[in-house]
Formats: sequence, structure tokens, C-alpha cells
Amino acid sequence: MNSQLANYRESDWFGPLLITVAAIVIVSVFNPEFLSPYNLQILLLAIAVNALIALSQMMIIAIGQMNLSVGAIGGLAAISFGGMMEVWLIPWPVAALLALGIGLFAGIANGVLVAWTGISAFVITLASLSIFKGINLGITEAQPFYKIPEIVKLLGNETFLGPLPWLILPTVVVAVGLWYLLSFLPLGRFILAVGGNAHSAELSGISVAKTVVAAHAISGLLAAMAGIMLVGRLQLGQPTIGDDWLILSFAAPVIGGAVLTGGKVSVAGTLLGVTIVVIINQVLVLFNIDPFLVQVVLGGLILWAVGVNRWREVRAQKTEKRLAA
Amino acid sequence: MLRKLMISSCLAVVALSGNAYADSSTKVALVPGGPHPYFAAWEQAGADAAKDFGLGSAEYKVPQKWELSMQNQMLESLVTQGYNAFLIFPGDPVGTVAIANELADTGAPVMALAGCLKDPSDALFCMGTDTGNSAYLGTKELLTKLAGGKGKKIAHFTGFLVDPNTQLRIDAVNKAAVEAGAEVIQVIADIDAPEPAEEKINAYLAAHAKDVDGIITTAWVPAVVASNALRKIGDKRIVMVGIDHDKVVIQAIKDGFVHGTMLQNPYGQGYIGSFAADKLRSGCKVKADAPFKTNALTNKFIDSGTVFAGINEADNYVASMQKITKTLLASFEKTYLSC
Repeated sequence: MNSQLANYRESDWFGPLLITVAAIVIVSVFNPEFLSPYNLQILLLAIAVNALIALSQMMIIAIGQMNLSVGAIGGLAAISFGGMMEVWLIPWPVAALLALGIGLFAGIANGVLVAWTGISAFVITLASLSIFKGINLGITEAQPFYKIPEIVKLLGNETFLGPLPWLILPTVVVAVGLWYLLSFLPLGRFILAVGGNAHSAELSGISVAKTVVAAHAISGLLAAMAGIMLVGRLQLGQPTIGDDWLILSFAAPVIGGAVLTGGKVSVAGTLLGVTIVVIINQVLVLFNIDPFLVQVVLGGLILWAVGVNRWREVRAQKTEKRLAA
Repeated sequence: MLRKLMISSCLAVVALSGNAYADSSTKVALVPGGPHPYFAAWEQAGADAAKDFGLGSAEYKVPQKWELSMQNQMLESLVTQGYNAFLIFPGDPVGTVAIANELADTGAPVMALAGCLKDPSDALFCMGTDTGNSAYLGTKELLTKLAGGKGKKIAHFTGFLVDPNTQLRIDAVNKAAVEAGAEVIQVIADIDAPEPAEEKINAYLAAHAKDVDGIITTAWVPAVVASNALRKIGDKRIVMVGIDHDKVVIQAIKDGFVHGTMLQNPYGQGYIGSFAADKLRSGCKVKADAPFKTNALTNKFIDSGTVFAGINEADNYVASMQKITKTLLASFEKTYLSC
């Protein structure tokens, strides 16, 4: 029992879980409405979409790279989804599949450029961000697509079993799928191996180029999925979707224990990281923080969450060393 | 469809004015701070002005992001492409002054549109919504609907904090509330983007819907998101006044979820701004004694107009916008220019 508890304590998600539970308890004591069914629905809706954004970035962090174009891919998929339904009257499931295809293609393009040119992913995705955003603006001229089918609006806003939004389902499927991929499938192990040490991975027979392309493809697909889900949630295809995903996409995996140099990520930790960021955002509203101080408080709280998690890790490592000695 | 109707109607207004203008070499660039639906009307306004006043061209050029450096680069590039008149929404009221002065040094007339530059600058004037006044009037409309507003609690959802207009709006809403004996119990800002607006407005309503009597929104996206949020929770008790003419807001007015909206006049800004640019290039000067208004940034401000549209105006709000443009254009040259 004690050893099992010790195992949990050493896991990446334990620290973020403690922070999440503590935050929920503290906030609900000061504001009982926090746990109302409607607020839980709002929280879960935010988590559902933001989790995909964070997982999209997490896959790139896993190979030790950065994807600055996550938001631009999501935005392009979102307006493509909305545009195909409004302009070409394409049925929504087909439009969703095509939009996912656009995200997949954008991710593959990023991956191929990174793998075959050897240029840093930071630079490649900085450039592709501009390209994807430019295409978005060229298509929309900064005007939203409004004619979203009712079924898409319902899926984006309705719930089942009480406060559970329908949008949580694809996120759960993706999270379980990624956990399985990273834990049990060869591709997942290759991704972590390349992130840990690309040279060693190559020497052990792993195709680094193919692994990089695969990681970027998954990242693009997840970003597109987030964009499509946001169209349902917002009930319109806004060209600005994705513009402010960047900070969240890095903050959540890092809070969840991801190492930015690659090789170590946690799906559960990232989901908890997303939950922490969403709660922090809600707290700033619920406690009526001065709007001019919101960014300062948000940054401070994220630093605090990362710091607590890091402190816990260091403490665990010291304890481990002491026991080993 | 509504957008096309609005554009056609504006064309009709111009045709009615019966002006005939010679072709000119004026190439106007209308440059917003970044992509935003508010500015979309500038594109048609420029095209209409070019056609109606015989300009070489008047084109809408959008920087990809809301970044000052990106806007500056675009403006420099436009000079090399032969543009010789600039209508700019300043990416930053102080930061844009340098590039505006550089453009003016090339001999091009430069005007700030929809937002002002901080004086001193070489911009000839600033034409935009008197944002403080619009927020004040909108809040007054809201409080009137709330039986005068005494003792009522209202929330204010507004836009980017980097936009100097945001503080003016916050102050104006507070002023109107204080005058009526109401209280602004919360200001949520920096939500002129869909995701943060969705999260924060819904979180606020989840926790505080029963505590609030009214909502005033003074930015485009928060108005859209709050309209949808009130529809979602089915709340017609909370009285809301929005801003601008997004379809979502107009429909919410028709369906009774929103009391009304404060219309602005982006089309008129682009149309009259292009007209003025051409006049200034053809030898007209800005009158030294022009009756400019003063705001927190400049003492060369021209109000492009604002008007409240409630349930009775929701079907013909385009007419309200036309009226503002027509009135302003009719007296613009005489009032502000010396030709």
C-alpha cells in the first residue's frame, strides 16, 4: 500500500493533481457556485477544447521541438469547416473530415520540412504559422462564417448525464489513444526516444525523420480537431480562432511535467495542467480581479503551479537518492 | 446577405449625392491594426469611394496579426508600392506616431481612422467613434430600460486592454452608472477574441447571473459571445446592450435576448476618409479653425457617429448607419477642409 502510494507520488501527474484538488476545494469554499452544474459544464467545455490544444503541442514537445503553428492550423481547420458548410453546403460530417484532413496535411507539411531540411522546428513552424494564417485571412477576409448547422451548435453546447458536454467525448478518446500510443505502441516509444536523444535513437534503428513527421502529423490533426470543436462551441467560424493558443499550449504540458528538451511527457499531467489553467482563468473572473492585473496574476499563478510541481519533483529525487544511499 | 444589402444601400446613398469627380492619381491604403470584423466595411468603403470620387484606388490592406511591427512593415511596403495616402487604425497610439510621421514626410496625407494617435503627430486628424460617448450612451440606454438604474447592478464586458479606447469605455460606463445610482459590479476586459470571451463570459454568468441586472458590452466579440450566452441560458431578465452590427447580436435583439446595440460607422470612416485623402492630395488643406473635438489622445478628433438600435431598428439598422454617413459627408468639406 505504502509502495503504491510512493509510486503515485513519483508520477508526473501527482503534483498537478494535488494542485487541482487544492484549487477546487479552496475556490469552492470561497464561491460555492464554482461547483454548480452549469459552472462544471463551462469548466468541462473549456477543458475539452484546451486539452486538445495542449496535447497537440505535447506531441511536439515529446520529440524535443516546438510547434508555433498549432493555433494557425486550428484556425485554418476551423474556418475551412465553417466555410465548407456555408459556401459549398457540404454536410457537416464530411466537412469535419475534410477539415481534419487539412490539419493532418498541415502537420505533415511541417514535419516533412523539419525532417528533410534540418531547419529548426521553431523556424519552420514560425513560417508556416504565417502561411496558414495568411490563407485563413485570404479566405475569410476577417469575416466569420455564420451558417453553422444546428446539429453542430448542439454538439458544441449540449450536455449528457448532467453537466457533461458532448465535446468531452472526442477529448477523452484522444487522451486515451495518446496514452496508449506513448505507453505501448512502437511509434509512441520512437517519439519519446527521438525526443530523449535523437542520435541514440537513430543508432538504434529508429527513423528519426519518419518519427518527426508522424509527431507533427498527430499535432496537426489534434489542432484541427480543436478548431472544429470550437466552431461548434462558438457557433460560428471565427477567423481569429487559434490566435491565443500559444501560451496555453506550452503552459499545460509544462505544468503537467513535460520536459521541453523532449523525451518526457505525460498525457494525464497535461490534462491536469489544462485543468489548472482553466481554473486559474475562472478564478480571475469569479474573484473580480482588476482587468489590468489579470495577465500579471495569471502569469504568477502559472509560475506558482509549475514551481510547486518542480519542487515536488526535486524533493522526490532527493528522497530517492537518500533511500538509495 | 445583410452585408451585401448594407453595401448596396451605402452605394445608393452615394449615388444620391450626385457628385462627379475627375480621375486622380490618389492611391489610398486603409490599414487596420490587424484582422477584425469591425474593419471589414472599410474594404467596400474604399472601393465605393474610389469609384464615386474617381480615385486611382482605395484598398483595404490587413496585417496578419495585431502586432505593431507587422503593421509598420506593411505600411513601409505600401509606400514602395506607390500608395500615397494612408488611413490607419494605429496599432499603438504612441508607437504608431513614428511611422505615421515617416509616411507624412513622403508627402502623403495620413489620417488616423477608428482610433487616434497620441498628439503630437503628423496625422491630419483622427476620425472614429467617440468611444467614451458611445459607451456612455449605451449604458444610459441600458439603465433607462432598468427603470432608471437606481440600485441596479451591471457588468461591463470590453475589449483589448492595449487599446486606449478600452479605458475610456470603462470610465464612461462607470460615469453613466454613478449618475444613475447604479453599480458596475464587474469589468471583464481583454476578451475581444472568441475563446477567452467564451470562457470568461460563461464562467461569469454561471456564477453571477442571478446577481446582475444588466450587461453592457463595448467590444465586438464580447457582444457576440454575451448574446449567445444569454440565449443559451434562456435569460431574458438580464438586460443587455451590445455594440456593432454582428448578425448574432441583431438576431438576439429580434429574439428579445438583447435590448439593443450601439451602432458604429466603420463604412463611413473608410468612405469619408478616402474622400478626404483625395481632397487633401489635390490641394485642399485642413482648416486651422475646424471644429475638431478633443479626446484623451488628440485635439483633432472627428466623431464618425454612433446610434442606438433597439428592437424597432433591428430590421433597418442599415438605414441608421446610412443616415450617419450621409449627414457627415454632406458637410465634411465645408466644415473641415479649405479648398
